[in-house]
Amino acid sequence: MKAFLAALLFAAIVAVGVSILLDAIQEPSYVAFTTGGARVGNPGHNLVGPNG
Amino acid sequence: MASFGRFIRLAVGACAFLLVIAASVPCNAQQVNPTASSVKEQQLLQELNRIQGRVSIPDQRSGVLEQPAGRDWREFRNVTLRWIGGIAILGTIAVMVIFYLTRGMVRLESGRSGRTLVRFTAFERFVHWMTASCFIVLAISGLNITFGRPLLLPLVGFDAFSEWSQWAKYAHNYLSFPFTIGVVLIFLMWIAGNIPNKVDVDWLKRGGGIVGHDHPPAYRFNAGQKAIYWIVVIGGGAVAVTGYLLMFPFYLSGIEGMQLAQIVHSIVSVLFIAAMMAHIYIGTIGMEGAFDAMGTGEVDLNWAKEHHSLWVEQEQAKGHTPSGSTPRPVAAE
Repeated sequence: MKAFLAALLFAAIVAVGVSILLDAIQEPSYVAFTTGGARVGNPGHNLVGPNG
Repeated sequence: MASFGRFIRLAVGACAFLLVIAASVPCNAQQVNPTASSVKEQQLLQELNRIQGRVSIPDQRSGVLEQPAGRDWREFRNVTLRWIGGIAILGTIAVMVIFYLTRGMVRLESGRSGRTLVRFTAFERFVHWMTASCFIVLAISGLNITFGRPLLLPLVGFDAFSEWSQWAKYAHNYLSFPFTIGVVLIFLMWIAGNIPNKVDVDWLKRGGGIVGHDHPPAYRFNAGQKAIYWIVVIGGGAVAVTGYLLMFPFYLSGIEGMQLAQIVHSIVSVLFIAAMMAHIYIGTIGMEGAFDAMGTGEVDLNWAKEHHSLWVEQEQAKGHTPSGSTPRPVAAE
Protein backbone atom coordinates (compact mmCIF):
# COMPACT_ATOMS: atom_id res chain seq x y z
CA MET A 1 0.00 0.00 0.00
CA LYS A 2 2.86 2.37 0.82
CA ALA A 3 4.44 1.72 -2.57
CA PHE A 4 1.11 2.39 -4.28
CA LEU A 5 0.47 5.66 -2.42
CA ALA A 6 4.07 6.78 -2.97
CA ALA A 7 3.64 6.02 -6.68
CA LEU A 8 0.49 8.15 -6.89
CA LEU A 9 2.16 10.99 -5.00
CA PHE A 10 5.28 10.90 -7.16
CA ALA A 11 3.24 10.80 -10.38
CA ALA A 12 1.19 13.79 -9.23
CA ILE A 13 4.32 15.74 -8.26
CA VAL A 14 5.98 15.07 -11.63
CA ALA A 15 2.80 15.98 -13.54
CA VAL A 16 2.29 19.24 -11.64
CA GLY A 17 6.00 20.09 -11.92
CA VAL A 18 5.97 19.55 -15.67
CA SER A 19 2.81 21.63 -16.07
CA ILE A 20 4.42 24.55 -14.19
CA LEU A 21 7.63 24.20 -16.21
CA LEU A 22 5.88 24.08 -19.59
CA ASP A 23 3.58 26.92 -18.60
CA ALA A 24 6.64 29.03 -17.82
CA ILE A 25 8.58 28.35 -21.01
CA GLN A 26 5.79 28.18 -23.59
CA GLU A 27 3.65 30.98 -25.03
CA PRO A 28 -0.09 30.55 -25.30
CA SER A 29 -1.17 29.92 -28.87
CA TYR A 30 -3.03 33.24 -29.11
CA VAL A 31 0.33 34.97 -28.59
CA ALA A 32 2.55 32.54 -30.50
CA PHE A 33 0.50 32.41 -33.67
CA THR A 34 -0.69 36.00 -34.10
CA THR A 35 0.94 39.41 -34.48
CA GLY A 36 0.22 42.17 -32.01
CA GLY A 37 -1.92 44.00 -34.58
CA ALA A 38 -4.16 41.01 -35.15
CA ARG A 39 -4.58 40.28 -31.46
CA VAL A 40 -7.87 41.55 -30.14
CA GLY A 41 -6.94 41.04 -26.50
CA ASN A 42 -7.28 38.39 -23.88
CA PRO A 43 -9.36 35.59 -25.43
CA GLY A 44 -10.73 34.69 -22.02
CA HIS A 45 -11.33 31.31 -20.47
CA ASN A 46 -11.00 28.78 -23.23
CA LEU A 47 -8.58 26.15 -24.45
CA VAL A 48 -6.10 28.66 -25.87
CA GLY A 49 -6.32 31.50 -23.35
CA PRO A 50 -3.78 32.24 -20.63
CA ASN A 51 -5.78 30.41 -18.00
CA GLY A 52 -6.45 27.43 -20.20
CA MET B 1 -22.83 53.00 -115.11
CA ALA B 2 -24.49 54.57 -112.12
CA SER B 3 -26.57 51.46 -111.63
CA PHE B 4 -23.41 49.32 -111.80
CA GLY B 5 -21.85 51.47 -109.04
CA ARG B 6 -24.96 51.03 -106.90
CA PHE B 7 -24.80 47.29 -107.50
CA ILE B 8 -21.17 47.20 -106.34
CA ARG B 9 -21.97 49.23 -103.17
CA LEU B 10 -24.89 46.93 -102.47
CA ALA B 11 -22.74 43.83 -102.99
CA VAL B 12 -19.94 45.16 -100.71
CA GLY B 13 -22.51 46.16 -98.08
CA ALA B 14 -24.10 42.71 -98.21
CA CYS B 15 -20.68 41.03 -97.83
CA ALA B 16 -19.85 43.28 -94.88
CA PHE B 17 -23.19 42.43 -93.24
CA LEU B 18 -22.59 38.70 -93.78
CA LEU B 19 -19.12 39.02 -92.26
CA VAL B 20 -20.54 40.72 -89.18
CA ILE B 21 -23.17 37.99 -88.86
CA ALA B 22 -20.58 35.26 -89.34
CA ALA B 23 -18.26 36.80 -86.76
CA SER B 24 -21.04 37.10 -84.21
CA VAL B 25 -22.19 33.46 -84.50
CA PRO B 26 -19.43 31.90 -82.26
CA CYS B 27 -20.14 34.48 -79.54
CA ASN B 28 -23.75 33.47 -79.39
CA ALA B 29 -22.96 29.76 -79.56
CA GLN B 30 -20.36 29.65 -76.73
CA GLN B 31 -19.57 32.00 -73.82
CA VAL B 32 -15.90 32.95 -73.61
CA ASN B 33 -14.41 31.84 -70.26
CA PRO B 34 -11.42 34.06 -69.50
CA THR B 35 -10.08 31.60 -66.86
CA ALA B 36 -10.54 28.51 -69.03
CA SER B 37 -6.84 28.05 -69.44
CA SER B 38 -5.93 28.82 -65.79
CA VAL B 39 -4.65 26.17 -63.38
CA LYS B 40 -7.39 24.09 -61.83
CA GLU B 41 -7.55 23.11 -58.15
CA GLN B 42 -7.19 19.45 -59.02
CA GLN B 43 -4.10 20.16 -61.14
CA LEU B 44 -2.54 22.06 -58.25
CA LEU B 45 -3.20 19.23 -55.84
CA GLN B 46 -1.72 16.72 -58.27
CA GLU B 47 1.41 18.78 -58.73
CA LEU B 48 1.97 20.00 -55.19
CA ASN B 49 -0.07 17.62 -53.04
CA ARG B 50 -1.43 20.69 -51.28
CA ILE B 51 -2.61 24.23 -51.95
CA GLN B 52 -0.91 26.94 -49.96
CA GLY B 53 -0.23 30.62 -50.12
CA ARG B 54 1.34 33.34 -48.03
CA VAL B 55 -0.09 34.79 -44.83
CA SER B 56 0.80 37.85 -42.78
CA ILE B 57 0.60 36.22 -39.34
CA PRO B 58 3.77 34.81 -37.74
CA ASP B 59 2.94 31.18 -38.33
CA GLN B 60 3.52 30.64 -42.04
CA ARG B 61 2.18 27.09 -41.79
CA SER B 62 -1.31 28.57 -41.54
CA GLY B 63 -0.96 29.42 -45.24
CA VAL B 64 -1.82 25.83 -46.13
CA LEU B 65 -5.35 25.97 -47.55
CA GLU B 66 -5.83 22.38 -48.62
CA GLN B 67 -3.98 19.23 -47.68
CA PRO B 68 -5.88 16.25 -49.10
CA ALA B 69 -3.99 13.77 -46.90
CA GLY B 70 -5.83 15.41 -44.01
CA ARG B 71 -9.09 14.02 -45.35
CA ASP B 72 -7.67 10.50 -45.28
CA TRP B 73 -6.43 11.08 -41.75
CA ARG B 74 -9.85 12.41 -40.66
CA GLU B 75 -11.52 9.34 -42.16
CA PHE B 76 -9.10 7.14 -40.22
CA ARG B 77 -9.65 9.04 -36.99
CA ASN B 78 -13.44 9.21 -37.18
CA VAL B 79 -14.18 5.80 -38.67
CA THR B 80 -11.32 3.29 -38.97
CA LEU B 81 -9.81 3.95 -35.55
CA ARG B 82 -13.17 3.54 -33.84
CA TRP B 83 -13.60 0.14 -35.47
CA ILE B 84 -10.08 -0.97 -34.55
CA GLY B 85 -10.44 0.28 -30.99
CA GLY B 86 -13.91 -1.10 -30.52
CA ILE B 87 -13.01 -4.54 -31.82
CA ALA B 88 -9.73 -4.68 -29.83
CA ILE B 89 -11.24 -3.60 -26.52
CA LEU B 90 -14.68 -5.19 -26.69
CA GLY B 91 -13.12 -8.31 -28.22
CA THR B 92 -10.68 -8.62 -25.32
CA ILE B 93 -13.48 -8.13 -22.80
CA ALA B 94 -15.55 -10.81 -24.55
CA VAL B 95 -12.63 -13.26 -24.59
CA MET B 96 -11.94 -12.63 -20.89
CA VAL B 97 -15.58 -13.14 -19.93
CA ILE B 98 -15.80 -16.36 -21.94
CA PHE B 99 -12.50 -17.55 -20.51
CA TYR B 100 -13.56 -16.77 -16.95
CA LEU B 101 -16.90 -18.49 -17.38
CA THR B 102 -15.32 -21.62 -18.84
CA ARG B 103 -11.97 -21.87 -17.04
CA GLY B 104 -12.66 -19.80 -13.94
CA MET B 105 -9.90 -18.60 -11.65
CA VAL B 106 -6.64 -20.53 -11.96
CA ARG B 107 -6.50 -21.95 -8.46
CA LEU B 108 -3.52 -22.72 -6.30
CA GLU B 109 -3.70 -26.48 -6.64
CA SER B 110 -1.49 -27.23 -3.67
CA GLY B 111 -3.13 -24.59 -1.47
CA ARG B 112 -1.31 -21.87 0.43
CA SER B 113 1.74 -22.96 2.36
CA GLY B 114 1.79 -19.98 4.69
CA ARG B 115 5.42 -19.32 3.73
CA THR B 116 6.28 -16.51 1.38
CA LEU B 117 9.06 -15.48 -0.95
CA VAL B 118 9.90 -11.89 -1.81
CA ARG B 119 8.93 -11.47 -5.46
CA PHE B 120 9.13 -7.72 -5.97
CA THR B 121 10.95 -5.10 -3.89
CA ALA B 122 9.25 -1.92 -2.70
CA PHE B 123 10.97 0.06 -5.44
CA GLU B 124 9.80 -2.35 -8.13
CA ARG B 125 6.23 -2.11 -6.89
CA PHE B 126 6.52 1.67 -6.70
CA VAL B 127 7.59 1.83 -10.36
CA HIS B 128 4.91 -0.67 -11.40
CA TRP B 129 2.09 1.21 -9.67
CA MET B 130 3.27 4.61 -10.86
CA THR B 131 3.29 3.38 -14.46
CA ALA B 132 0.02 1.49 -14.03
CA SER B 133 -1.91 4.33 -12.40
CA CYS B 134 -0.70 6.80 -15.04
CA PHE B 135 -1.58 4.28 -17.75
CA ILE B 136 -5.16 3.95 -16.51
CA VAL B 137 -5.67 7.73 -16.56
CA LEU B 138 -3.98 7.99 -19.96
CA ALA B 139 -6.13 5.17 -21.32
CA ILE B 140 -9.43 6.64 -20.11
CA SER B 141 -8.58 10.18 -21.20
CA GLY B 142 -7.24 8.88 -24.53
CA LEU B 143 -10.35 6.80 -25.20
CA ASN B 144 -12.37 9.93 -24.49
CA ILE B 145 -10.65 11.61 -27.44
CA THR B 146 -11.70 8.81 -29.77
CA PHE B 147 -15.00 7.64 -28.33
CA GLY B 148 -16.11 10.52 -26.09
CA ARG B 149 -17.98 12.49 -28.72
CA PRO B 150 -20.19 9.64 -30.02
CA LEU B 151 -20.62 7.81 -26.71
CA LEU B 152 -20.29 10.21 -23.76
CA LEU B 153 -21.45 13.53 -25.16
CA PRO B 154 -25.05 12.38 -25.80
CA LEU B 155 -25.23 11.14 -22.20
CA VAL B 156 -23.79 14.12 -20.31
CA GLY B 157 -24.38 17.11 -22.58
CA PHE B 158 -22.07 19.73 -24.03
CA ASP B 159 -21.11 21.61 -20.87
CA ALA B 160 -20.16 18.58 -18.82
CA PHE B 161 -18.42 16.93 -21.76
CA SER B 162 -16.38 20.07 -22.46
CA GLU B 163 -15.30 20.47 -18.85
CA TRP B 164 -14.44 16.77 -18.49
CA SER B 165 -12.59 16.65 -21.81
CA GLN B 166 -10.52 19.71 -20.95
CA TRP B 167 -9.36 18.22 -17.63
CA ALA B 168 -8.88 14.82 -19.25
CA LYS B 169 -6.61 16.44 -21.83
CA TYR B 170 -4.54 18.12 -19.13
CA ALA B 171 -4.23 14.80 -17.29
CA HIS B 172 -3.33 13.05 -20.55
CA ASN B 173 -0.58 15.53 -21.36
CA TYR B 174 1.02 15.89 -17.94
CA LEU B 175 0.72 12.31 -16.66
CA SER B 176 2.52 11.17 -19.78
CA PHE B 177 5.75 12.32 -18.14
CA PRO B 178 5.64 10.07 -15.05
CA PHE B 179 4.36 7.29 -17.34
CA THR B 180 7.39 7.68 -19.58
CA ILE B 181 9.70 7.68 -16.56
CA GLY B 182 7.99 4.47 -15.45
CA VAL B 183 8.44 2.80 -18.83
CA VAL B 184 12.14 3.66 -18.86
CA LEU B 185 12.58 2.35 -15.30
CA ILE B 186 10.66 -0.85 -16.12
CA PHE B 187 12.90 -1.39 -19.13
CA LEU B 188 16.07 -1.00 -17.07
CA MET B 189 14.80 -2.78 -13.97
CA TRP B 190 13.53 -6.01 -15.52
CA ILE B 191 15.45 -6.36 -18.79
CA ALA B 192 17.71 -9.08 -17.35
CA GLY B 193 14.78 -11.38 -16.59
CA ASN B 194 12.92 -10.80 -19.82
CA ILE B 195 15.29 -12.03 -22.49
CA PRO B 196 13.50 -14.89 -24.29
CA ASN B 197 15.06 -18.35 -23.85
CA LYS B 198 14.35 -22.04 -24.51
CA VAL B 199 12.25 -22.39 -21.37
CA ASP B 200 9.79 -19.93 -22.89
CA VAL B 201 9.37 -22.11 -25.98
CA ASP B 202 8.43 -25.07 -23.81
CA TRP B 203 6.14 -22.85 -21.70
CA LEU B 204 4.34 -21.65 -24.81
CA LYS B 205 4.04 -25.17 -26.24
CA ARG B 206 2.32 -26.25 -23.05
CA GLY B 207 -0.05 -23.30 -23.17
CA GLY B 208 1.44 -21.69 -20.08
CA GLY B 209 -0.72 -23.80 -17.85
CA ILE B 210 -3.63 -21.51 -18.49
CA VAL B 211 -5.58 -24.15 -20.35
CA GLY B 212 -5.83 -27.33 -18.29
CA HIS B 213 -3.89 -27.85 -15.07
CA ASP B 214 -0.36 -28.05 -16.35
CA HIS B 215 2.41 -26.02 -14.69
CA PRO B 216 5.29 -25.62 -17.13
CA PRO B 217 8.53 -24.48 -15.45
CA ALA B 218 9.53 -20.83 -15.63
CA TYR B 219 12.19 -18.55 -14.27
CA ARG B 220 11.25 -15.26 -12.61
CA PHE B 221 9.19 -14.21 -15.64
CA ASN B 222 7.37 -16.69 -17.83
CA ALA B 223 6.80 -16.20 -21.57
CA GLY B 224 3.44 -14.51 -21.00
CA GLN B 225 4.97 -12.01 -18.59
CA LYS B 226 7.85 -11.44 -20.98
CA ALA B 227 5.33 -10.65 -23.71
CA ILE B 228 3.68 -8.11 -21.41
CA TYR B 229 7.09 -6.64 -20.58
CA TRP B 230 7.98 -6.11 -24.23
CA ILE B 231 4.51 -4.76 -25.01
CA VAL B 232 5.01 -2.20 -22.24
CA VAL B 233 8.54 -1.31 -23.31
CA ILE B 234 7.99 -1.18 -27.08
CA GLY B 235 4.34 -0.08 -26.99
CA GLY B 236 4.98 2.40 -24.18
CA GLY B 237 8.01 3.75 -26.00
CA ALA B 238 6.02 4.13 -29.23
CA VAL B 239 3.09 5.93 -27.60
CA ALA B 240 5.49 8.18 -25.66
CA VAL B 241 7.48 9.24 -28.74
CA THR B 242 4.42 9.75 -30.94
CA GLY B 243 2.57 11.44 -28.09
CA TYR B 244 5.34 14.00 -27.60
CA LEU B 245 5.38 14.66 -31.35
CA LEU B 246 1.71 15.59 -30.98
CA MET B 247 2.14 17.48 -27.72
CA PHE B 248 4.88 19.67 -29.19
CA PRO B 249 3.50 20.30 -32.68
CA PHE B 250 5.87 21.23 -35.52
CA TYR B 251 9.00 20.99 -33.38
CA LEU B 252 10.21 17.84 -35.11
CA SER B 253 7.73 17.18 -37.91
CA GLY B 254 5.28 18.78 -40.30
CA ILE B 255 1.56 18.13 -40.49
CA GLU B 256 2.04 14.85 -42.37
CA GLY B 257 4.41 13.61 -39.69
CA MET B 258 1.93 14.53 -36.99
CA GLN B 259 -0.89 12.75 -38.80
CA LEU B 260 1.29 9.65 -39.05
CA ALA B 261 2.24 10.04 -35.38
CA GLN B 262 -1.43 10.22 -34.41
CA ILE B 263 -2.22 7.08 -36.41
CA VAL B 264 0.62 5.13 -34.76
CA HIS B 265 -0.20 6.59 -31.33
CA SER B 266 -3.87 5.67 -31.49
CA ILE B 267 -3.50 2.16 -32.94
CA VAL B 268 -0.70 1.19 -30.55
CA SER B 269 -2.70 2.70 -27.68
CA VAL B 270 -5.88 0.71 -28.24
CA LEU B 271 -3.89 -2.51 -28.66
CA PHE B 272 -1.87 -1.59 -25.57
CA ILE B 273 -5.11 -1.08 -23.62
CA ALA B 274 -6.42 -4.47 -24.78
CA ALA B 275 -3.17 -6.17 -23.71
CA MET B 276 -3.19 -4.44 -20.32
CA MET B 277 -6.79 -5.51 -19.72
CA ALA B 278 -5.65 -9.10 -20.15
CA HIS B 279 -2.70 -8.40 -17.82
CA ILE B 280 -5.02 -6.92 -15.18
CA TYR B 281 -7.37 -9.88 -15.52
CA ILE B 282 -4.68 -12.52 -14.98
CA GLY B 283 -3.15 -10.51 -12.14
CA THR B 284 -6.43 -10.21 -10.23
CA ILE B 285 -9.44 -12.46 -10.74
CA GLY B 286 -7.75 -14.69 -13.30
CA MET B 287 -5.21 -16.37 -11.01
CA GLU B 288 -5.29 -17.04 -7.30
CA GLY B 289 -2.31 -15.58 -5.45
CA ALA B 290 -1.01 -13.53 -8.39
CA PHE B 291 -2.01 -10.14 -7.00
CA ASP B 292 0.11 -10.68 -3.88
CA ALA B 293 3.24 -10.25 -6.00
CA MET B 294 2.44 -6.58 -6.63
CA GLY B 295 0.19 -6.13 -3.58
CA THR B 296 2.52 -7.04 -0.75
CA GLY B 297 5.59 -7.93 -2.80
CA GLU B 298 5.58 -11.48 -1.41
CA VAL B 299 4.08 -14.60 -2.94
CA ASP B 300 3.17 -17.88 -1.35
CA LEU B 301 5.86 -20.52 -1.74
CA ASN B 302 3.41 -22.97 -3.31
CA TRP B 303 2.29 -20.35 -5.82
CA ALA B 304 5.91 -19.72 -6.72
CA LYS B 305 6.60 -23.43 -7.10
CA GLU B 306 3.56 -23.93 -9.32
CA HIS B 307 4.14 -20.98 -11.62
CA HIS B 308 7.87 -20.17 -11.36
CA SER B 309 9.57 -23.35 -10.25
CA LEU B 310 12.96 -22.52 -11.78
CA TRP B 311 12.91 -19.11 -10.10
CA VAL B 312 12.27 -20.75 -6.71
CA GLU B 313 15.30 -22.98 -7.27
CA GLN B 314 17.40 -19.94 -8.12
CA GLU B 315 16.22 -18.07 -5.04
CA GLN B 316 16.91 -21.00 -2.76
CA ALA B 317 20.35 -21.44 -4.34
CA LYS B 318 21.04 -17.80 -3.44
CA GLY B 319 19.99 -18.50 0.12
CA HIS B 320 16.75 -16.50 -0.10
CA THR B 321 14.65 -18.73 2.08
CA PRO B 322 10.89 -18.39 2.43
CA SER B 323 9.62 -16.59 5.49
CA GLY B 324 6.46 -17.16 7.48
CA SER B 325 4.84 -19.77 9.63
CA THR B 326 5.47 -23.46 9.59
CA PRO B 327 4.47 -24.93 6.27
CA ARG B 328 1.07 -26.54 6.11
CA PRO B 329 0.75 -29.98 4.59
CA VAL B 330 0.65 -29.84 0.85
CA ALA B 331 -2.61 -31.04 -0.63
CA ALA B 332 -2.45 -34.31 -2.46
CA GLU B 333 -2.02 -33.96 -6.21
